[in-house]
Amino acid sequence: MERELVVTGVGGQGIQLLAKTLALAATREGRHAMLSADYGGEMRGGPSRASVVIGDGPLRALPVLASAWSAIVAHHRFGEPVLARLRPGGPAIVNLPLVDPASLPRMTVYGVDATAVATSVGAPQAIGFVLLGAYNAVTRLVDPASLVAAMEELLPPYRKQHAAANARALEAGAAAIGGRDVRHAEVRR
Amino acid sequence: MTVVDTSQPPSEPARRVADFRPSLLLGEHSLCPGCGEPVALRVLLEVLQELDVVRRTIGVVGHGCYGSFVRIMDVDVLQCLHGRAPACATGIKRVRPDCVVFTMQGDGDMANEGLQEVLHAAARGEKITCVLLNNGVFGDTGGQLTATTVLGQRTKTSLQGRDPETHGYPIPVADLVAGLRGVAYVARGAVSTAGAVAQTKRMLRRAFEAQLAGAGFGLVEILTMCPTGWFVPAPDGPGYLGDSMEQAYPLGELITWRH
Amino acid sequence: MTLELLEGNDAIAASAIAAGCRFFAGYPMSPFTGLLESMSRRLPAAGGVCLNAESEIEGVNMTLGAAAAGARAATGSCGQGIALMQEAIAEAALNETPFVVFNMARNQQDYFQATRGGGWGDYRTITLAPKDVPEAVEHAQLAFHLADRYRAPVIFYGDPLLAQTRVGVSIRPLDFGPLPPKDWALDGTGGGTGRSRQIWTWAMGKATDPGPGPDRHWRAVAEKFAAIDATESRFEQAHVEDAETLVVAFGSAARFVEYVVDELRADGHRIGWFRPVTLWPFPGAALTAATTGKRRVLVFELNAGQMLDDVRIHAADRAAIRFIGGVSISESGLAFGELMDAPVIRDRILAVLAEGERP
Repeated sequence: MERELVVTGVGGQGIQLLAKTLALAATREGRHAMLSADYGGEMRGGPSRASVVIGDGPLRALPVLASAWSAIVAHHRFGEPVLARLRPGGPAIVNLPLVDPASLPRMTVYGVDATAVATSVGAPQAIGFVLLGAYNAVTRLVDPASLVAAMEELLPPYRKQHAAANARALEAGAAAIGGRDVRHAEVRR
Repeated sequence: MTVVDTSQPPSEPARRVADFRPSLLLGEHSLCPGCGEPVALRVLLEVLQELDVVRRTIGVVGHGCYGSFVRIMDVDVLQCLHGRAPACATGIKRVRPDCVVFTMQGDGDMANEGLQEVLHAAARGEKITCVLLNNGVFGDTGGQLTATTVLGQRTKTSLQGRDPETHGYPIPVADLVAGLRGVAYVARGAVSTAGAVAQTKRMLRRAFEAQLAGAGFGLVEILTMCPTGWFVPAPDGPGYLGDSMEQAYPLGELITWRH
Repeated sequence: MTLELLEGNDAIAASAIAAGCRFFAGYPMSPFTGLLESMSRRLPAAGGVCLNAESEIEGVNMTLGAAAAGARAATGSCGQGIALMQEAIAEAALNETPFVVFNMARNQQDYFQATRGGGWGDYRTITLAPKDVPEAVEHAQLAFHLADRYRAPVIFYGDPLLAQTRVGVSIRPLDFGPLPPKDWALDGTGGGTGRSRQIWTWAMGKATDPGPGPDRHWRAVAEKFAAIDATESRFEQAHVEDAETLVVAFGSAARFVEYVVDELRADGHRIGWFRPVTLWPFPGAALTAATTGKRRVLVFELNAGQMLDDVRIHAADRAAIRFIGGVSISESGLAFGELMDAPVIRDRILAVLAEGERP
């Protein structure tokens, strides 16, 4: 069984880090993972996209995904070519209010105001982790503890002080979804 | 002063100088009469023997008339691409730091094709010893202009003599290298007179001592005669070297190293 | 088997080190730069040396020197930098110095460079073309084995997807079988014995221990490559027996073709694929067998047609060949363009199948 995730946003939203965190979490659980990144040269504001594939055996998926099961959409810009690959019916976490849930009519959309949630737990930079926490609460692809461990492992020495705040962001994102299977956009603050 | 006792014959019979050749020389060279390169090879091999490093020496030889020396030197040797010897020597020394590694290159090899290689190796302070046989001409290909051909020198590509307007100026390799940090010993010698040969041998010894001490990069530039390339009769080579090459490239130690 | 999530370049570096690589010299150029940086980070801890050479030419010659002294050594670049190394690769083929050249290429346009070579003389270069990061990990070690087995430089043909995709892989030393000792390597010990060693393309040997000389030596080297040609080609194929159409591709393109062919077969098409794993020696006999009786042989590569030449040489029926690849480069110039994409490849294949009549 393989699951594909496409993540799209702009530079500065933590897209690459959240994708790497998920891929590493799966790898540490002994699963097979693949991670591709696609970003421009700008440090902020340019396109930032990533894809993660997780499976129980050697992966069949291509490094340029032909189709994807799920998405995290952090920003309305730059996402179209990637989101066009989504197969209908899978989960999509969208970052409110930047992203209009109606833009993904064929997906099961969960809306989270990641900026508000991140700010509310004192981690305003960590919107990527809020979205990742929410995603994993819906999909249950990895153990939440694996996400925390991977997040800590990926922090460079000069960012270790953010570990606690990032962990809160992951947890708050999961809480915002509440683990319920909802079929329409919801706002959680 | 010791006075030779002429009332008795010498205790040992006279021998040809060639018979004194170091055991590391496996045979005769095939270069032109009057060529200075075999003299340089000989003093180099003598120095290696005197330092007792022969069993851990690796040489890297470039392309020129001296290239044929890979056949007659009894040390492990790599014959490499034109100009690239300092790079190859770097690789060898980095994986075998206990070996004594030297290059032997002509001016066409080091100053033309390989100027970048020797400058970078020197700046990196690679613990190798580069030997430049500088006769100011591409001897092996018949006598064309190189980066070290002196002004006024006639060659097959500077038939009226090297003219700065057309051919630019010669490059003093030892001086260029001496300006870089990372060098431990840089000197310029010659093999045109007995005194110069002795001096050159001392320079080579000091250069290898610097390598053995791990002090850094060493370069010995040796002015050698090329009567064929210079259009002069063989016996006139040494004098011509003194009048031409030595005026452009003064002999001496440029950078020395102390214990 | 513990998996590590590694970027391709890093996985290749780790794997090369697991194979015993202890010297690496290179010059940065995308997408090879990550491999150089990984080596710079990993080699010292493994007791090796990594040098950021001041030029590609110096890098490959440093590697040649280290290899001549008996170390497992490697260099790399992308095609533009490998272009500068052609002389040294030929030199190493002709003076029989083994090392690995990692072409972390920007695209598939270096096939000719790798298989025909731009150096001088009668030489060939064994070239491995992995299709994904796990295979790249294996080939990174196989390359050193083949280099040492045959005393010749070996090219590893990578690409941006191999370089930059992160995959969970297992890195451990692989055993490809026994190797002859490096009794030819320069270590200084022959000095003064009358049996000192010499590495020289002309192989004339020493005055007291003559060698074969250029004529006999270069013949022997040519014969060696002919023997490698006969024994070391590698390939993969699937669904050949019942296929009417065979798609031929190498490297990452073959991975995409494999995926698309599976989809097309599920839709009922009688289609298979063939993948050279060694670009040289090209698995010609296997390709002839695989293409025998095929109605269509589709060649897919991201260039103007390079492997196409080798397919033309070996295909059972040249008239069945159709080229469905093309030059395809990203906007940045540094990566694959739109053609390296399953839906695009699928459309190209279907367009040919829809033509119905024999091309």
